[in-house]
Amino acid sequence: MNRGFGWGALLLFAAPVAAVGQEYLLRLDTRAQRVDYRGLEEDSIPAGEVVSGPDGGLETPDGHAVTCIGESYCHFFRAGPVRQGAPLVTSADLTAWGFGVTDLSLHANARVGLDLGTADAWPGSDPAVQLNEGYLQYAAERVTGRLGRQVERGRLGSYGHDGLHLAYRFPSLDLTAIGFAGLGLARGSALPVTSDALNPLDEFQPRERQLLVGGAIEWRRRGVDARLDYVREVDRDTRNFVSERMALSATLGPVSGWSLTGGADYDLAWGWWGTADLAIRYGGTRFGGSAGARRYRPYFDLWTLWGAFSPLAYSAVNGSVWLAPVRGLTLRGGGERYWYPEAEAETPLVGEETDGWRWNAGAGYTISPTVSADVGYQVAFGPGAASRGVDGSVSVRPLPMLSLTAEGGYQVRPLEYRVEDPALTWYGIAVGLRPAERLRIDFRATRYDENRRRPDASAIDWSQTRVSAGISWLLGTSVDRLPLPPAVRREGRP
Amino acid sequence: MNSGRVSIALGLMLLLGGFGGAASGKGGDDFDHEKHRKVFPECLGCHAGVTDAARPLYPAAAACATCHDGVIERLVDWAAPADRPSNFRFTHADHARKSGAKLPADSSLACQECHIPSGAEPMTVRRTLSAQCLDCHGVRAAHFSAPDTACATCHLTLAEATALPEARVAAFGKPVSHDEAGFVTSRGHGQLAERGDGTCAFCHARDFCAQCHVNAPEVKAIQALAADARSLAIKAELAAPASHREARFLSRHGGDARRDPARCASCHTRESCIACHRTRPTIVLALPDSGSGRGIGARIERKPGYHGVGFADRHGPPARSAPGTCSACHTRAECLECHRPDPGASGNYHPAGFLTRHPVAAFNRQVDCTACHNQGAICATCHEQAGLASPGWRRPAYHDANGAFALNHGVAARQNLESCVTCHTERDCLTCHSAQAGRGFNPHGPGFDPERLRRRNPQMCAGCHGRSIPRN
Repeated sequence: MNRGFGWGALLLFAAPVAAVGQEYLLRLDTRAQRVDYRGLEEDSIPAGEVVSGPDGGLETPDGHAVTCIGESYCHFFRAGPVRQGAPLVTSADLTAWGFGVTDLSLHANARVGLDLGTADAWPGSDPAVQLNEGYLQYAAERVTGRLGRQVERGRLGSYGHDGLHLAYRFPSLDLTAIGFAGLGLARGSALPVTSDALNPLDEFQPRERQLLVGGAIEWRRRGVDARLDYVREVDRDTRNFVSERMALSATLGPVSGWSLTGGADYDLAWGWWGTADLAIRYGGTRFGGSAGARRYRPYFDLWTLWGAFSPLAYSAVNGSVWLAPVRGLTLRGGGERYWYPEAEAETPLVGEETDGWRWNAGAGYTISPTVSADVGYQVAFGPGAASRGVDGSVSVRPLPMLSLTAEGGYQVRPLEYRVEDPALTWYGIAVGLRPAERLRIDFRATRYDENRRRPDASAIDWSQTRVSAGISWLLGTSVDRLPLPPAVRREGRP
Repeated sequence: MNSGRVSIALGLMLLLGGFGGAASGKGGDDFDHEKHRKVFPECLGCHAGVTDAARPLYPAAAACATCHDGVIERLVDWAAPADRPSNFRFTHADHARKSGAKLPADSSLACQECHIPSGAEPMTVRRTLSAQCLDCHGVRAAHFSAPDTACATCHLTLAEATALPEARVAAFGKPVSHDEAGFVTSRGHGQLAERGDGTCAFCHARDFCAQCHVNAPEVKAIQALAADARSLAIKAELAAPASHREARFLSRHGGDARRDPARCASCHTRESCIACHRTRPTIVLALPDSGSGRGIGARIERKPGYHGVGFADRHGPPARSAPGTCSACHTRAECLECHRPDPGASGNYHPAGFLTRHPVAAFNRQVDCTACHNQGAICATCHEQAGLASPGWRRPAYHDANGAFALNHGVAARQNLESCVTCHTERDCLTCHSAQAGRGFNPHGPGFDPERLRRRNPQMCAGCHGRSIPRN
């Protein structure tokens, strides 16, 4: 049992106890899914047993296309066993205050996740108890302090850590200075980088959690928001850098409805610019849109070797527009075109694709206060993958507490340099029930029917049915008391 | 006192009346006075109780049979109406006595002064004609245009009119002043209430005010009213103040609240704030808690206009530059729902059916998947189970669309390295791309700065170069 498991268990089960005599808000969510699916399984065959298929290609006697590269065995993928996944997840989000110290509060967000299926391999369910955040906060007018497990969010992404966060506001200067330090967590996870759960393929892994130190300066004046971020991570075992990055972000909104956003990050460790973007947007009551340019470069920590392979950044221009020509109807569309620079890894035998594009269009129509529909079309084409498809949904709310949605779509998606052009049809229903103000129940069932239009036996059946159900419950010391009729206010509805 | 004058006086005011809506129409007892005008020349013949409290206000039903015996006239089924509760503060006898004392000796107050429209034929009896009452009392205005101070002339407060049923309260008319611009503001009805003359109490009680005023327990003018649940029969529905509809209200409301928290406290409790501001900024403490004696406060349906269509896909840039703005409405837990996904969830940030599109979206990197998903815990775990990944050297059989993929995989790797690592391990690549073992292929490409990397993390260099890390 790791330390996160212990913290999570303590907070999950101590939450109701801590709430007694205190003021608190507690949200409990429980969700379950069930899916049966079939993957692939790599296999090989002696080169001498390979036969020529109808189209002249090499294949196994039972029809699987094979790849032979000068070895005595040829390789191929056949259908794997049917696997069953059934994750059951309960999460709790608690805010408690009233400890006798004004402005002091406790925050915790934890979950218990189990895979009840036969494969016991649902992603993200190991370990079973995970503490996303759990910290004590003191938030006064000028100072905010947090101690415990928390997530720092900014242009550089989300950095989780077990440590201290301090923010001090200078109202006369419109400035806020932020600093934080602690033992870091892995990116996109509530687990430390040393956790086995993050290393299913047995990669190289650090032996110690990294030390995280960072800070930010926020400047907010009417119509202008700007923020400068800096983060450094150091391997405590080797004293080497894990990362060192900084970023600048800004939003200008000088005129109502218009905004100009932009920013960029720079990797001090690698010495190159990372992701950047600049966009101008307008949002009115009847129409809106955006136009911008951006650049995307993947980021890898220095304890992996991946950055040494020089991942390329692509540059893109994009735009979007939406329009509400009549009441209830919204039309939308958008597109992006992007380019990679020369990879400097080309071979004379194979052509190189260096650009791609994607666009989408759709419409949403609120037929009546209780009936709405939406339809969308997406197309994407890029090096190694492409797709085009349409999807739609119709939602009906026969009762204020009940919503019903029927949804479906069709898609074709060649990808990953693989001989397949699968056509996939999916359809399903979703039911939302709100029997009480603070209680929500939902259910969704979706069927995926795929036709892997391969010419060989590897066209396995990946079709599957996914069923999920969830319940959300909000509790509190005073928010659910309604001794008198509430005021009825209408806030800016059209 | 002139008894003759009194005897003529008053009259059919007994035919009741409520605050509004009772000033027209025939009597509530369905007796057609006009039809009987030749039979009953004076009021007191039937309504002796007007002047003599010992006698009934209405005649006995049997008296009708004097004529309506089935021979002279058809039989009728008439019954005297039950006592009708009202919010009038007088009895006919009192009114007659007091008016007799005030009026000049040669004047008289007859029943028709209140119950027969001016200039109408005798016996065109109506319920209380409030305009004539007001005129007699020196108020030159229509009933609901009369000054608030005039109410007490005829009416009891709601709390005093204990017998008045809720349905009658719901039917109360609305004074013209209530429709004036600004009446719902503190300068409108607020100033009237604080005047302390108790005018509001004729139609309202404390419960009514608490429908909107969540600070009712702290407002003296409201606490001065009696508690009376019947007042809830009048429904209050407020539009949001004009300031709330301004484009940048959400971004400015914090400063407004700090400058004048009392203004917020009329409609909002702490719950209004902490539903979003779960970090409980100091200003929240200036507002009352919901609970006994007050409502929960305004329900807030918040969605800034600039969110617009597809905002979920483009919320990143503004959120990065001003995360504090987001935290005014969104909790950290909301961010974590997407930025640290729940394995049990079936669609939150991603639309329904995204499962089918995720390979393409990931391969072409429309968004940064790793901002929310850990490659090891999410991607590699799932791909391994699906047979797409396994430790060790992988032959390019999977990428069977391209027979020469192995020769050209470098381009794909540099363009889509994040996708490669969801199935392949570093060890796979070092089979060839290592200076110490394998085939010694150099993996470094455009922008690679070996000297800089060696200074930051020489261990990484040593993974391929051992102790012989080249300087450039």
